[in-house]
This record gives sequence, structure tokens and C-alpha cells, in this order.
Amino acid sequence: MEVIIIIALTGIAIMMAGALNKPGFSLWIAIAGLMLAFILNFRLWNTNLHLFNDMIVYDNFAVVFNALIIVSSALVFLLFHSHYSPWEKHLDEIAALLIFACTSMMLMTSYGNLVVLFIGIETMSICLYVLAGSRKYELPSNEAALKYFLLGSFATGVMLFGIALIYGASGSFDFHGITSYLTSTGNQTSSMFSIGLLLLTVGLLFKIAAVPFHFWAPDVYEGSPTVITTFMGSTVKIAGVAALYRLYAYHFAAIKPIWATTIMIVSALSFFAAVLMALPQKRFKRLLAYSGISHAGFLLMAVLAMNQYAASALLLYAASYSLATIAAFTVLVEVIEVRWDDELSVFKGMGAKNKFLAFALIVAMLSMAGIPPFSGFMAKFMMFSAVAESGYIVLVVFGVIASAISLVYYLKPITLILSKDESNSTNIKLSWEVIIVLVVTLTLTLIFGIFPGLLTGLL
Amino acid sequence: MVSMENNLNILLLLILLFPLAGFLFSGLFGKTISKLVVGILASTAVFIPFVFSIILAANVSENVISLRLFEWIHFQNFNISFSLMADPLTALMLLIVTGVGFLIHVYSIAYMQDDESFSRFFSYMNLFIFFMLILVISSNFLVMFIGWEGVGLCSYLLIGFWYGDHENNNAAKKAFIMNRIGDLGFLLAIFLIFTTFNSLEFSTVFANASQMISGNSTIFWITLLLFIGATGKSAQIPLYTWLPDAMAGPTPVSALIHAATMVTAGVYMIARSSILYALAPEVLGLIAIVGIATALLAASIAIFQNDIKKVLAYSTISQLGYMFAALGVGAFTGAMFHLTTHALFKALLFLAAGSVIHSLGGEQNINKMGGLSKKIKVTTFVFLIACIAISGIPPFSGFFSKDEILSSLFEKNPLLWILGIIGAIMTAFYMFRLYFLVFKGTYRGSEETAKHIHESSKIMIIPLIILALLSIIGGILGLPEWMGSRHFLQNYLSPVFKNSSQILHETKHLVISEEYILIITSIIGVLIAIVCSWFIYLKRYKVFDAKIPVVFRIFEKKYWMDEIYQFLFVKSTLWLSDFFYQIVEIKWIDAIVNGVGVLVVSTGRRLRYIQNGYTEFYVFMMVLGIIALLFINFLIR
Repeated sequence: MEVIIIIALTGIAIMMAGALNKPGFSLWIAIAGLMLAFILNFRLWNTNLHLFNDMIVYDNFAVVFNALIIVSSALVFLLFHSHYSPWEKHLDEIAALLIFACTSMMLMTSYGNLVVLFIGIETMSICLYVLAGSRKYELPSNEAALKYFLLGSFATGVMLFGIALIYGASGSFDFHGITSYLTSTGNQTSSMFSIGLLLLTVGLLFKIAAVPFHFWAPDVYEGSPTVITTFMGSTVKIAGVAALYRLYAYHFAAIKPIWATTIMIVSALSFFAAVLMALPQKRFKRLLAYSGISHAGFLLMAVLAMNQYAASALLLYAASYSLATIAAFTVLVEVIEVRWDDELSVFKGMGAKNKFLAFALIVAMLSMAGIPPFSGFMAKFMMFSAVAESGYIVLVVFGVIASAISLVYYLKPITLILSKDESNSTNIKLSWEVIIVLVVTLTLTLIFGIFPGLLTGLL
Repeated sequence: MVSMENNLNILLLLILLFPLAGFLFSGLFGKTISKLVVGILASTAVFIPFVFSIILAANVSENVISLRLFEWIHFQNFNISFSLMADPLTALMLLIVTGVGFLIHVYSIAYMQDDESFSRFFSYMNLFIFFMLILVISSNFLVMFIGWEGVGLCSYLLIGFWYGDHENNNAAKKAFIMNRIGDLGFLLAIFLIFTTFNSLEFSTVFANASQMISGNSTIFWITLLLFIGATGKSAQIPLYTWLPDAMAGPTPVSALIHAATMVTAGVYMIARSSILYALAPEVLGLIAIVGIATALLAASIAIFQNDIKKVLAYSTISQLGYMFAALGVGAFTGAMFHLTTHALFKALLFLAAGSVIHSLGGEQNINKMGGLSKKIKVTTFVFLIACIAISGIPPFSGFFSKDEILSSLFEKNPLLWILGIIGAIMTAFYMFRLYFLVFKGTYRGSEETAKHIHESSKIMIIPLIILALLSIIGGILGLPEWMGSRHFLQNYLSPVFKNSSQILHETKHLVISEEYILIITSIIGVLIAIVCSWFIYLKRYKVFDAKIPVVFRIFEKKYWMDEIYQFLFVKSTLWLSDFFYQIVEIKWIDAIVNGVGVLVVSTGRRLRYIQNGYTEFYVFMMVLGIIALLFINFLIR
């Protein structure tokens, strides 16, 4: 519990610092707060805390995913600080929103009650709507915020309706109550319950941008400030998948036949359709948006596998995806800063003058494509093994085919970077925050690729 | 003895560390020191493993040297370790990779000396050697796959080494992606092996597999999928078209990766899993057919190519086809033998071709060469040796290995042997066509380049001579029994293939008189081919009047395979993705938005102000999605 409180307090402290008009202070508050939370988080290892009548369950799953969320939030925060501070007047308010979003994600990984899940998702979403529009004098940013808000509220409505139906059927928001309802009916749920479950799922699928609830993602990713897109692409997606995994693997495992088909179809559709839709993309942000959709599909495989390997595979996949995404977006942020464009052609000849950025982007792309020795490969390998173990061989076949096709668009930027045409290559100066972000993400991508046991041993 | 064993263990690790260190060094500090130092260090990083490989090769027989580095993935009963091992098969591959690799590194010092990205080149080359060594030294399928993917990555980097060239980029991408299609098969095979045997260690998997009965359906699928992987990496039908395009890379790269080492990985992998294949006779049959078909197809294309490197590329595909044919009839030793000799003479051919290209200032079209034998004598001489070797004329190395494959084919099925002979004849024909057009006759290039024709420097020549010597004497590795000697390689590799040959229990052996007939037939055929080639390309006898006949046009156009693939795979994928993008995302959205817009009156109109805002459509699609999911849910229940 201290973790959630600490992070929430960090957010409040940042707002106070803003009121005191001490700009630049917020970075140190945030770093200190997040580091403290990270340490406290691991003190809860193996304690398996149940708080507030099981409203919050702080088990090892929650601990590792919270750690992952804290780390990626910290990385995004560094990036944010490097890019917002020079010109943003209301820096601290936006910074605080980032931290609040992080707080609510802690709830999404550790809920023991549907209400807590809902509060977590809603708090996170509201922060994100504002963050998407945080460059308030820019039209695309406003547009993205509005779009995200309209579609997000629709999804929230659907999810809330689902929760209400589940409550109506089982008479409880609490998973103990729901489980006893399920046992009393012998896992034969009423249609009210099943529809409720489906609608709840849809709400969550919307948050992780899985097909066919993905339409918002490319538009919103494109319009939002790139730093915020980074946050949406990495941390938010991890939190969403963690919430889904907890929901099914921990609470609805007994009624797997009811939801397995839905998840399987959504998973297959997500990675396959998204891979195909990513192929013709000319803009890097849209390309990463579709790539993110396809990764959502791969992540969902863990929910479907639901065996002893699934949680570890999910952790490794979430970590490597998040690291690669942050690295790729960081490079993009730097490039956009100079070129004001995210057409793929801006990478042309980048390798000549910006070796480090080029290297970072190549590693990120290869990791996402699942090429060893980067962590993306081990992640895909573990994920596919886990799903194969549960007998979904056909899904694995499609997954492997999709990841082979995905190579085509991951190679595009690499090819451009390495091309000798240096006509429009400019030297980009990196701030220390950005260098830290890239060094951390790249090192971890390599370390987890060679020693995946470091993560998979945890769960 | 125990300590000795331990020392050898460490060699396995050291073999890997040197090229890795070389890669890091050239990559990080290569720019700051002189080119020569980078080149020497990079070559040393391959030479030291070569010495270690010799020590290993001398010490392995029945006993397998293995080293478990660390527990890689471990949780519950999921257990994969990062472990290495060396048995005779590994030792042979190690010698080829490090030996030929070292010579090519030395050669490259001179070949690449004017290139501005000299250190980048050597760092990639060392990285390639590192991954190739991982591939052959691994003791489980996953570590092998890491090497497998790693060499693919390095191949991508090296083909596209001169990135300024758009064509190179495309070739590199094509090679990488085609390889990935094959890898898909390998990866699926790994999953299947894991779910079947609950382990990926070679020792466990093969020990368990040998308990199974022949014709087991799981084994069938595993071997088939592994074979698909092999077709990608070793450029067999249907995944061979990337290799000729890969020639866009620097010539030493073609010699190292696309002739001697990486492309043979598929052969190695199948030989390594020989027990599994022995249990899947149907797949073996398929491999034999694919192998011989590839050998013929590629040879027929090679006859009409005009780019010196493309001829060699198709020749490589064709020779790999022979290796696969040998694997397919269960002649695992024969395949490995041919792999060895081929690595020597094909590396030599490529390096000699590189020397020619170098001396002509980058010219690769053989119609603009000719008469070079007077000016670059050493290159001509070694090229001729390699031509004789690959054509299969005794006593050069290629003769023995090809003869062994051909007689294995005959034992299995005389028809296969006939096809093999036809391929061998074509091989001799196109190789000597190349030789005559490049080195004999009169010079047909421009005057300007003629002035600069010069023999390459010593650093390039010495590796050529060493390889030429090896190409001549390489045959002693496997002198056939009819010559009254022991087959050295057969004995050396027998611990590896013992079980699989027991399962296949090949008892039929040719009598010596039969052997003689086969050999004499093939030698006569080859000699006739060379004479024909001499008449047509040197004496310029007009066999065809001006125009090439229709049948040969098919060869010349490479059976339109590239175009067919373009249409079948690339176009169809693009079409599908276009469908999603254009039709679903843009046209349908437009149509539906316009249609629905009338219905969703007020909100719709307000939202329309958002630039290309299809928000109401997105909501509409989400609702459709929910309905579809509900429908599926209740339909299935």
C-alpha cells in the first residue's frame, strides 16, 4: 500500500512545487518518489498482502508488474522532462498527471474487486485524455485528446455496463463473492453474467488497443505529443494487459471455456490484421501504433495460455516490448524535435551523423521483430512455447507467420538509417536524460535477451 | 585425464570469445587505429579459434566434449541451458568455419583496403564468425537457433554493406525475409520438439527419439519443419531466389557466407538431426527429390548467366542441392564430405572471381572479360584448379565427394543417379564456359580498364594458393573403398551417424565393377561437357543461330521464378495489406461514414469538424465488434 501512497504523494508534491513556482524541481521529486516506490515495492515481495477486505491484493504478480510500470514510467518521465521543460509553462501539472496515471496503474495490477479495477482504469484514462491534449496550442494534440476522450468514454460506458451485469448476476463486486456465485452454479453462468463478462473484456481490450477496438490508437498516437504516445504505447499497454491477465488467470480461470474463444479471436485478429495494416504505413508513429496493436495480440496469448509458463512469458514480453517501444519513441522524439516530421524518410542517412540514435533504433526494431540476441526474441519464444504448451498450435503458427511478415516493416527504418544518402541528415544533440533513457533501455534489452531467466525466474 | 578434459571444455568457450572480442574491438575502436591493424586483429580472432578447433578435432571421437555455460531459462519444469558441445561433426564444421573463414579474412584485408568502412566490415565479419560458431557448437536446438538467426542478421548487414546502393538494400532485405520464412519452420519445429520431448538438448532428444518407431507422425512433422528451415538457409527449392541477389554484397562476403559457411548450415542441421530423419523416411525421400531438383534447376540457370558472381551463386545452389540429395538417400557422411570440399573450392572460386573483379575495377559482366590469363596468371591458375575440382575430375577433391554422392544415389535409385550425372555434366559445362569466357580468348572490355589490369597483391594471392592446394588434395579425407583405402571421414564421423545408419540399415553396397562403370560414365560425361564448352565459347562454333532456342530462354529467364514469387507472395501480401489499408480503412470508412452520418445526425455533424475524424465510425465498428463477439460466444456455446 505504501507504494501507491508514495506515488500519489509524489504527484501531489509535484503540483505543490508547481504552486511554489520552482520549475525544474519536479524531475527530482518524481525520480526520488519513483525510486522510493520501487524499493518499497520489492519489500512487499512474497508478503501477499490483502488489504481493505481484499479490495487490493498485493501478490508477487502485482509486485513485478508494478516494478515494471514504475521503471517505464520513470523512463518516460525523464524523456518528458527533457522535452517539455524548455517551453511548457504548466510543466508541473502535466508532470503530476503522469505520476497520477502511474498511481492508478498500480491499482490495475493489484485489484481484488471490480470497483477498484474500474477506479484504476478510469483514473488512468482521465489522466491520459488530458495528457494527450497537453500541447494545448497544437491542433493535432487537441484533436487526439477529444477523440481519445469520446471513444474512451464509450469504452468506459461499455465496461461499466458489463460490471453492472456481473453484479446483477452474482450480487457482488468482490471476486470472493463472484467466485462463490460461480461455484454455486457449477460454473454454468447465466447469460447475464456472460454478457457482462464480455462487455468488461471489451472495455479492457479497448485500453490495450486490440482489434476490433483499436481504431482510436493510430489517430491518437499520431496526434498526441510524442512523449505521451510513448507512455501510451509502453506503460499503459502493460498495465492493461496485466489487468486482463489478473482478471482471467486469477479470477475467471474456472470458466475458461466461456471466454477463451473471444480472447483467441481477438488475439489472432490483433496480431495478424495489425501486421498487415502496418505494412503500407509511411509515418513512423502510425507504424508503431499498428505494431503496438499487433503486440497487444501477442500479449493476449499469455491470457489464453494460462499455464505455469504464462505469467513469466507475459512478464518477459511486456518488459521487452515496453523497453523497445520506449527506445524507438525516444529516437523519434529526438528526430521530430529537429525535423518536425515523422515520415519514415526522416531517418534517411541518420546513421552517418547520429550513430547512437541510429544504433538505438536498430536495436529497438530488431527486438520488436524478435531477432536474437535481443530480448524480443526470447519473449516471443517463451510466449509461443507457453501457448503451444496449452495446445493452441494453430495460433502459434499464425503468430510465427505474422512475426515473419512484421519483419518487413521493422526493416524499413533500419534500411533508411543505414543508407548512405546524407543529404538531409542533421546532427542531433542529446540531453543527458535522453542518453540515460537510451542506455538503460538498450542495456536491459540486451541483458534480458541473453539472461531472460532474470525475469522469468521471478514468477 | 580429468584435467585434460576440463581444459578442452574451456576451449569451447574460448573459440566463441575470440571472434566476439574481435567484433567488439573493431566495432568500437576500429576507426581510431590503422586499417592494417584492424585487419590483422580480426584475422587473428578467427585464427586462434582455428588452432583450438584443430586441438578439439584431434580429441573427439566417441567421447563428446561438452560445456554447460549457464542455466538459461529455468522455471518449474521448463529448463533450457546455454550449453556447448563438440563431437566429430562439430569439429569438422569448426575447422571449415574457422579455417576458410581465416583465409577469407586475410584476403579481405587487401580486398577491402580502399573501403572507408573497413573496420565496420571486419566487425561484421567477426560477428558473423561468432554466430556461425554458436550455430555449430551448440548442444541444443534453441542455442543453435540463436546462431541461425544471428548469421542471418550478419548476412543482412553484409549484403547491404554498401548501403548507398538501393539495389543492395533490397537484396539484403529479400535475403533476410526469405530466410525468415524458413526460420518459421525451424521455430515451429523447436516448439514441437519441446512439447514432444520436453527438452531441447540434442542428447536427450536424440536418445528419446531413437526409442520411437519409424514413421511416427510427430517425427514426420518435426523433420519436415526443420527441413523447411534448411531450405531457407541453404537456398533450396522453393526458397532459393535470395542467394543470387545476395551477390550484391562484397565478394569476400559471398565467399564466406554464401558459399562456404552459412548456406551449409541447413545441411549441418539435418546431418545433426540424422536420427530424427532416419525415423522419417517420407521426409528423407522429399529431401532427395528437392535436392536433386534444385541441383538441376540451378545448374540449368547457371549456364546462361552473364554475371560472374551470379554464375557462382547458382552453382552454389546446385552443389547444395547435391548435398541435400545425399542427405535424402541417407548418405550423411557423403553430404558432409561434399560440404567440406565444396567449402574449399567454392570459396576459392569466389575469391578468385573477386581477384578478377578487383583487377578489372569492378566489372562483373563476363561478356566484357576474356583473355585475362596472360595478365593475371596466378588467379587464372587457381581458378582453373577450382573449375576442375568442382567439375569432378580426378584426382581433385570434388571428384571424390561428388562420386561418393552419385554412387549413394545409384544405390538408392538409378534414376536419381542419372539426374545427378546430368547435373554434373551441366556443372562442368557452365564452369568451363565461365573459365573460357573470362580467362581465354580475346579481351572484350573497354580499353580504359584494359590498361589497369593487374594481378592482385600478395595478401590476396596467398589465401588463393592455400585454398587451391586444399582443393586439390581435399579428396584424401574420403578416399573411396575401391581405391583400397579406409574412408577417413566415414570413420571419423561414424560415432555421430552410428544410430541413424543402424535405423536406416543400408546394407546394399555396390560391387567394385559397378563402381568403376559409374565413375567412368561420369568422367566421360564431364569431359565431353568441357569439350563442348570449349567449342562453343572459345572456338565460337555457332551452335544456335543467333537466337537462343525457346527451351534455353526458360533457363536464361531463370524459369521466371522471381516474377512468380513476386506475384504469388509479395503481391498477394501487399494486396491484402492494401485491402486492409485502402479498402477497409479509407474507402469503407468513407462510405459508411457518409451513410451512417445521415443517421447519426447531431453528434455526427459536430464530429465532422475534426480533420478526417471518423470517430463515429470507430464507435460504429466497436459496436459491430461487440455484436460479433456476442454472436460468436453464443453461437459456439
